[in-house]
Amino acid sequence: MPITTTRRRLLAGSAAALAFPHLARAQGAAKPRLTAISQWSAGSDGAAITALGKKFEEKGGVWQHSPVPGFTTEMMNKLRAQIMAGDPPACSQLKGPEIAAWSKIAPTVNLDALVAAAGYEKVVAPDLAKLHKPGGKWIALPLQIYSTNMLFLSKRAMDKAKADKVPVTWADFNDLAEKMKAGGVASPIANGGTRPDDGQKFEAALAGISPLAYRAAIMNLEKKALEGPEIKAAFAQVRKIADWMDPNVGAQHFSTNLKRFIDGDMGMMIMGGWAQGVLRNAGFKLEDFMIAPGPSDNGKPVFLLNADAFIFWQRKEADLQAGQTLMAQLVMDPAIQTMYSQITGSIPVRTDVDLSGEGWSEGQRTTSKALKEAIASNQAVLSMAHNMAQENGMTAAMIDVITEYVKNKTIKPEQAATRLAEAVEGAR
Amino acid sequence: MPDRSFAPTRILIYLAVFLIAAAWLAPLVVVVLNSLRTNEEIAQGSMIGWPQHLSWSNYAAAWSGFCVAETCAGIRPYMLNSALVTIPATIFSTLLGAIAGYAVSLWRFRGDNWIYGIVTLGLFLPQQMRLLPWTIVLRDIGLINTLTGLVLIHTIQGLSFTTLFCRNYYVAIPHELIRAARIDGAGFFRIFWRIILPLSGPILIVTVIWQFTHIWNEFLYGVTFTTGQQQPVTAALIALSAAVADIPQHGVQSAAVIIAALPTLLIYLLGGKYFVRGLTAGAVK
Repeated sequence: MPITTTRRRLLAGSAAALAFPHLARAQGAAKPRLTAISQWSAGSDGAAITALGKKFEEKGGVWQHSPVPGFTTEMMNKLRAQIMAGDPPACSQLKGPEIAAWSKIAPTVNLDALVAAAGYEKVVAPDLAKLHKPGGKWIALPLQIYSTNMLFLSKRAMDKAKADKVPVTWADFNDLAEKMKAGGVASPIANGGTRPDDGQKFEAALAGISPLAYRAAIMNLEKKALEGPEIKAAFAQVRKIADWMDPNVGAQHFSTNLKRFIDGDMGMMIMGGWAQGVLRNAGFKLEDFMIAPGPSDNGKPVFLLNADAFIFWQRKEADLQAGQTLMAQLVMDPAIQTMYSQITGSIPVRTDVDLSGEGWSEGQRTTSKALKEAIASNQAVLSMAHNMAQENGMTAAMIDVITEYVKNKTIKPEQAATRLAEAVEGAR
Repeated sequence: MPDRSFAPTRILIYLAVFLIAAAWLAPLVVVVLNSLRTNEEIAQGSMIGWPQHLSWSNYAAAWSGFCVAETCAGIRPYMLNSALVTIPATIFSTLLGAIAGYAVSLWRFRGDNWIYGIVTLGLFLPQQMRLLPWTIVLRDIGLINTLTGLVLIHTIQGLSFTTLFCRNYYVAIPHELIRAARIDGAGFFRIFWRIILPLSGPILIVTVIWQFTHIWNEFLYGVTFTTGQQQPVTAALIALSAAVADIPQHGVQSAAVIIAALPTLLIYLLGGKYFVRGLTAGAVK
């Protein structure tokens, strides 16, 4: 009888409905869950974090990511609000010295046991590792690395300069720029006009001239080093670069000029490794440009590190704690780092990942090789322009001086060096 | 009256107005043109240029396609969020501002100017300064990460402006009107409802335009006090533009900006002619 069937079904249905929440709750107690905030929302950044979330779910976790669109400040506002509300995310994107600074605001998770279990410490660049274990304990995990001082060379501009050798030292670089200029390249340096742009030029110059001076002056803020001759030499090199740039960039993104760069109207670009992803996504061909480590006067690659990381905030909930453990294991996993970097165009933090296989670009292989060599010669240093060397306030004070110097050509390198030292004193 | 339409000064004025308007509209033209070009076309060429062929796909992607991390729903859900915050907050702040402006301008009481001064002080406080206090308030009343919390913020913050506008408008209303009404036995709210509100058309339109535009365009609170799917449209727009390893999506960005600007544009078109009239009404007495 139809009615009975319906009733029976109904009964069965309500019984299931009654049982289900109970069932779900029983499973929920053991199920790892992760609340995460990051600024990764669009493009390949968004795609990469989404892929990571999928992996988290595949392992049986509940992935609750809230992107905070914008830049670091927005994300920090959000993080501060969540911490003040007593509801910090189980994990959030944070990088550089901000990890140490923020770890004083709210309790973090000690990840030492997980890091030891994964053998992570010995495969991470030493300076980078230090940033993630303020006070000697791992509380954050780096996920991917970019170099901020890769040198991109336009093939057509090289042809115009009748050059085929990749410059190794700053003298080679300057020589090539002159040849490009003489060969009809309108602006031997391709650039943008955003704040990190100018900072990147300065840090590439100083670290290329002397990684030791860079470490002492910019990373350790030693007064003597800040007044040393290398700083003046770096400013002198930045002036040369500035003279070869197109001044009409306003506050534009560097990608605005990529077409001119590929066409050989601009010659060289000092940019982070991410630029190759940008070039690829803009539809340019890989054979139209070359990638090399930024100039280094001692001939060995200097690597200016920019690394994204996750910091883990203490939570009492068992499911969130389980989620943190799972997330930490995933972030340190070479397969996950491979997946992540292949989406974003960065390189893995782990120096033991093999990049020779499918899915890696030549630029990524070059970058990874440069990192290994730089670590071996203690020349892997932290980027100032991208907030790795100093906290936001100090970085801003330095970049103010550098940007003014780049734009105002009446300032002498000596004056700029003095101003930089003063700005550092003022921001301390 | 002599026909002055071809007088040299007229022509000069029109020329100047035309030039200023052209300069003012140039960015909009670039945005409209880019909204019809593919990203690749813009990247391979220049930011400024004619579309090679009209590509409407940017609008489709902007409206319901592009991804903000795991969610690929375009700008649409975020437009709805913005509307859910902007419309109530505009109505509440305008009404409360009108009542407050009416009270401090037409119902003189001890300390009224002080109160007015303190309310308008809010105009001079930078947004960032109020961020932490709001965090604490929202936490304590349990409205953090809710759209209701944002409505509350914008209603209260809006009071400074709306009170200022309405008060300046109402001071021009003759006091005799109020006195006569009081003699007839009308109270505070009856006078407001029967006499003041009917006179308030222009200034209410000004405050509505003002509040709507500001709340719709607001980003800092919107991104700090919401999470994930509740974010306002400004957050979605920023999400489109802040990728590191990607070519900026100028085409989709332009289309999204145009779509996101439509509500405010509509409000201006509907109430624009009252805008200047209402603003100056209080000033010229």
